[in-house]
Amino acid sequence: MLQKPRSRGRSSAQAEKDRDGSRDKDARAPRGGVADEAPSTSRGPGGSQEALGTSSQGARRAQAAPTVGPRTQKQLELKVAELVQFLLIKDQRKIPIKRTDILKHVIGDYKDIFPDLLKLASERLQYVFGYKLVELEPKSNTYILINTLEPVEEDAEVRGDQGTPTTGLLMIVLGLIFMKGNTIKETEVWDFLRRLGVYPTKKHLIFGDPKKLITEDFVRQRYLEYRRIPHTDPVDYEFQWGPRTNLETSKMKVLKFVAKVHNQDPKDWPAQYCEALADEEKRARPESSGPAPSS
Amino acid sequence: MQGSTRKMGIMTDVHRRFLQLLMTHGVLEEQDVKRLQKHCYQVHDRNATVEKLEDFINNINSVLESLYIEIKKGVTEDDGRPIYALVNLATTSVSKMATDFAENELDLFRKALELIIDSETGFASSTNILNLVDQLKGKKMRKKEAEQVLQKFAQNKWLIEKEGEFTLHGRAILEMEQYIRETYPDSVKICNICHSLLIQGQSCETCGIKMHLPCVAKYFQSNSEPRCPHCNDYWPHEIPEVFDPEKEREAGISKSNRKSLRSRQH
Repeated sequence: MLQKPRSRGRSSAQAEKDRDGSRDKDARAPRGGVADEAPSTSRGPGGSQEALGTSSQGARRAQAAPTVGPRTQKQLELKVAELVQFLLIKDQRKIPIKRTDILKHVIGDYKDIFPDLLKLASERLQYVFGYKLVELEPKSNTYILINTLEPVEEDAEVRGDQGTPTTGLLMIVLGLIFMKGNTIKETEVWDFLRRLGVYPTKKHLIFGDPKKLITEDFVRQRYLEYRRIPHTDPVDYEFQWGPRTNLETSKMKVLKFVAKVHNQDPKDWPAQYCEALADEEKRARPESSGPAPSS
Repeated sequence: MQGSTRKMGIMTDVHRRFLQLLMTHGVLEEQDVKRLQKHCYQVHDRNATVEKLEDFINNINSVLESLYIEIKKGVTEDDGRPIYALVNLATTSVSKMATDFAENELDLFRKALELIIDSETGFASSTNILNLVDQLKGKKMRKKEAEQVLQKFAQNKWLIEKEGEFTLHGRAILEMEQYIRETYPDSVKICNICHSLLIQGQSCETCGIKMHLPCVAKYFQSNSEPRCPHCNDYWPHEIPEVFDPEKEREAGISKSNRKSLRSRQH
């Protein structure tokens, strides 16, 4: 939301006066507008999202109490709402969310109850949206959202973005990596992709810049790990699955994809099939079923 | 917030998938929303009757209430099409627009918004907006860059571009109506019929009241001598056509068959 030009949190008294003044002029209630009680949360000045400031859309109340002390039910509710929105927006861009960012941009003075807020937000995300909040790797203090609803092919027809790349370039690369023993050299990747008309140096009709996608975007989104192989000349890199891939899909799913592409059965690759089975068993065991957000 | 008279609804996977997919669009037209709803029923509850859209959305909104967001319905100002968007009900430190754009870009939007609100037509020329580039907060922006930022706003459906001029997209109106009415109480225009924020519309040349084009169409429907509802003077403008969902549906059936083959990329 844009910030109102005059009222920053500091001069909330003045801001209140302005708001009340304008409200009287607008005696006919706006259709579908928020009732008078739209609250705002307290926010320190430190956030980088200063563009929004602390002004609210119609709050009559000044900022909430700055430090410790009892907080109202409404304040807590709003804080959880903010946290939920923050997590959704960050995850939509597939950026793993750092705990430090959460504390800085959302939690602020509510730091003392951060674990509770996170737990509540996590519950709402699950119940309302079907997303599960998980830690990318144990003790990493970064989080992503996992979709508990299975993506369906027809979703692609009704969505407004490209969604998680369940088919397409990423899946192909993930498949390549797995079939080649969980690690593959970059040169091998391009050797393969060239056969599909995808080149590192040429713009692609659907994928745009494949090199950037594979070596930067997918890596940043943690679907892939991209490491330099030492002592190679010319320099070569290797790819492995990133932590997000293990959370969002599985060896068995990727194997099934590869099999489907070849019009064969997953069992036609016995080594990979065994590996995938072992992975499935590991996932089924309760300890490995995704850690809850740790405090 | 709205009182607790509203009973809290139940979320099922139908509703969740609907919400997830709705969120991938900044704003969505009603017929596409219905398609989306139908799709979600197909995936999770094939045999159930598809609930009436209004009730379906009200149910979801009753759950969203505690998160201070809602699925809001509006109408496009130029041709009266019903649109839906998921909007914030409380200003928090987090908002879709603020997280997608840099400080100077947001300020550019703010400048464009002010010009649009102050204008007679609801449109601000690209030139006039770009001339304000030096006044932007944050990192310095050149005109060339600003041009691209304006295009980005149009692509993301915050602004509409028409022949080098910009106005607010229905999405921006849905999301920001409250904010706009409070921030610019003196220059904001209100429709005489529906009392909502007005950016584009027609005005009475005698008394100055304004009306949205779809409101004009509805108000003067089959009226051969349209007169200003306020001063009764002859209404000098052409009465626009009303958006007719029935006609659209027939046209839409053949359109949506073609649409689903095109990749939806933004």
